[in-house]
Amino acid sequence: MDVEAKRIMALSISKLYSLRTQRGGLSLHRGLLLSMTMRAARDIYHTAQLLRDAEEEQVVPCVPDAAIEELMEISKDSPQTSTPKEVAMKPQEPKETLEDDKENRCASERHSRKRRCKTAVEPDFLPLKEAKMDTDEEKQHLQGEVLRTNNGNSCRQAETLTAFPTNRAIVAC
Amino acid sequence: MGAGGGGNDVQWCFSQVKGAIDDDVAEADIISTVEFNHSGELLATGDKGGRVVIFQQETENKSQPQCRSEYNVYSTFQSHEPEFDYLKSLEIEEKINKIRWLPQKNAAQFLLSTNDKTIKLWKISERDKRPEGYNLKEEDGRYRDAATITTLRVPVFRPMDLMVEASPRRVFVNGHTYHINSISVNSDNETYLSADDLRINLWHLEITDRSFNVVDIKPANMEELTEVITAAEFHPHQCNTFVYSSSKGTIRLCDMRASALCDKHSKLFEEPEDPSNRSFFSEIISSISDVKFSHNGRYMMTRDYLSVKIWDLNMENRPVETYQVHEYLRSKLCSLYENDCIFDKFECCWNGNDSVVMTGSYNNFFRMLDRSQRRDVTLEASRESCKARQVLKPRRVCAGGKRKKDEISVDSLDFNKKILHTAWHPQENIIAVATTNNLYIFQEKVN
Repeated sequence: MDVEAKRIMALSISKLYSLRTQRGGLSLHRGLLLSMTMRAARDIYHTAQLLRDAEEEQVVPCVPDAAIEELMEISKDSPQTSTPKEVAMKPQEPKETLEDDKENRCASERHSRKRRCKTAVEPDFLPLKEAKMDTDEEKQHLQGEVLRTNNGNSCRQAETLTAFPTNRAIVAC
Repeated sequence: MGAGGGGNDVQWCFSQVKGAIDDDVAEADIISTVEFNHSGELLATGDKGGRVVIFQQETENKSQPQCRSEYNVYSTFQSHEPEFDYLKSLEIEEKINKIRWLPQKNAAQFLLSTNDKTIKLWKISERDKRPEGYNLKEEDGRYRDAATITTLRVPVFRPMDLMVEASPRRVFVNGHTYHINSISVNSDNETYLSADDLRINLWHLEITDRSFNVVDIKPANMEELTEVITAAEFHPHQCNTFVYSSSKGTIRLCDMRASALCDKHSKLFEEPEDPSNRSFFSEIISSISDVKFSHNGRYMMTRDYLSVKIWDLNMENRPVETYQVHEYLRSKLCSLYENDCIFDKFECCWNGNDSVVMTGSYNNFFRMLDRSQRRDVTLEASRESCKARQVLKPRRVCAGGKRKKDEISVDSLDFNKKILHTAWHPQENIIAVATTNNLYIFQEKVN
């Protein structure tokens, strides 16, 4: 069961990865389904892993096998490399992460990359600029006036197609 | 000829096939939507290349009653072109996601076609006469020398070869951030809705520079997103009512009289999940790919990956009927996830009198589900059964165990041959079935 879970988890992550390069832009629906499946598989796998670790703890110190490590790297990579798509919203971050990508080649440094979710990374000096960018982008984008009686209640700030919960899914890895 | 009676008493026979014969399919030719107009005289298809092809039913040949009227090309035009959103560095596909016809009001025909971002209203009109004999101009358009004009003549209309013109009358832009999955014309013939993954907008057919947002399910924090809108449709008679389906297998019915913003539904249709069927892929297969009201407006039909469900609008806690489309795929979900087939969005349709429903499957199979007789049949759209008026033989899939003669085993099914789009003539037993790049037209066998 956990072998299957691991396979599905890996499959889901690679599909999420390739989703970004699809023509027509990222499909929110497909991304959501993929991330849900990945999380379900991940949960099963981790539960099985924990049970197995608990059983084996006095035998051998736990060594993560190579496949899992590769998986972790892929899953850590995807939120970073997906951020270039959020160009309009956060102009600073894509530059940072792309540079990181080039500079950090060795596995240990990749593990140490701190970015897990959007909020964790936002540098203090940026927020003002981002807020302004959000409004401008929003106005530019919505040329056609959209009339609503409930004005602006449903958060139009972050209009990013990539902002579906892969980040949260990967956090626990 | 009746209004489309029982699917199993009816024998279906091949009528026509449209599209290229060779197996090497060009991506642009892949059919992405099929729709009859309200009279059934016109049949529109949209493809991945952004083109719309409209076929017209020829007026019946009275001398040959056996020979049912055929559909021939009436008009072809490029509806959408690929675009590039520079702000987001994203390409916008020209693929036509949906076509919806407007009811006919005058000599011209109108349809709405949409890609991921932009909806267009097209006017299709005929020209079979042209004015000839201008007083001041030659036939080729050049002005005559004024000195040579000594008499007065008035131009007269003379017949010409029929010309069908398609012109874009309205372009509805910038209404959607996410990908448009549905459009639906209201019964008031003045408004229509368009739905994307998170929002539904109400438009007036005459007004292109603004729309009214009626549903918005975007969460404050996108990381909390758990479901998206997958399809939406207006009620056929009640102009205040529409439904939308979700990726979680629920359908919400909204009444625009209740409030301007319909985030709160009037009815929620949801069937509790069968715990014995739980798997990694439960979420995916419960996602609804299509929702269609019955013509009488009392029922609605939903299609998810493995089944078709008929819901009574007065009963929210479960469907009144459930039909398995291809249950033999349940044990293959992992492979279907690997090859991405599990994400295929099948559509479904009703016949004219709501007694039979139809939906597609793999291997170019499609299913006719007879509600009144509680029977179903699997038919195939293939080049092998393309002889004129050849009756389609029912097909059977062997789920396991010993394969009988004439049965096909699940592992032999061709998952690249999928029928996602089908349409049923509103009055007659004529169906249009789209394979990857061919459109098959089948008709009821006339004795």
